Amino acid sequence: MTAPARPSSNVVMRRALAGGALLAVAVAVVGGPIGWAVAGGPGLIGALLGALMAFVFLGATAASILLANRFAGTDAYLGAFFGIVMGSFVVKLIVFLVLAIVLKDQPWVDTKVLFLTLIVGIVGSLVVDVLVVSRTRMSTVSDLPADRRID
Amino acid sequence: MDTSVVAELSGNIATVGYGLAAIGPAIGVGIVVGKTIEGTARQPELGGRLQTLMYIGIAFTEALALIGIATYFIFTA
Repeated sequence: MTAPARPSSNVVMRRALAGGALLAVAVAVVGGPIGWAVAGGPGLIGALLGALMAFVFLGATAASILLANRFAGTDAYLGAFFGIVMGSFVVKLIVFLVLAIVLKDQPWVDTKVLFLTLIVGIVGSLVVDVLVVSRTRMSTVSDLPADRRID
Repeated sequence: MDTSVVAELSGNIATVGYGLAAIGPAIGVGIVVGKTIEGTARQPELGGRLQTLMYIGIAFTEALALIGIATYFIFTA
């Protein structure tokens, strides 16, 4: 039995990405003025950067799964899946560490506002992910080969 | 009685914190992805469903890493 051309999880990943983007906009809209009130211009930039970073770093997982699913049906699927998903995790952590260290001493950004907004965005993204997964209807046997698919 | 210093460490202990914040979630994500591959290999028609559950598992686990690292920068800012 060969794997189907498009795994059924693609729908969930796309919805999770869209939900994450909406949440990032919401966090930026709410957090921006708060950052401005707390620390002025650097606070505003910190809040916007924090919202963006939360979306990029958590959205990278869904994006990497979507990318890995392009290999579905090929012999390299499982290897490519493992490499892409785990590789994106490693790259993400390294980029996050480098960004955090570089931004730490910049005068134009308030790091306290940035990282607080980031944590709010991360926790919010988790809530969005759980909502998306729990509300998306998927059949138990969802990935039949093309000749046995009924949809 | 005289005290003598046998060994002295200098630097920032937060460096160890980076490692601690990364190693736990890395093990967690490795297990989650590895088990999903195992499940998909055994039962390919469940692949999509397993991936969806894996996605939630990864999201929660990696959030710990990001929050753990971000916390240091909040406290030292």
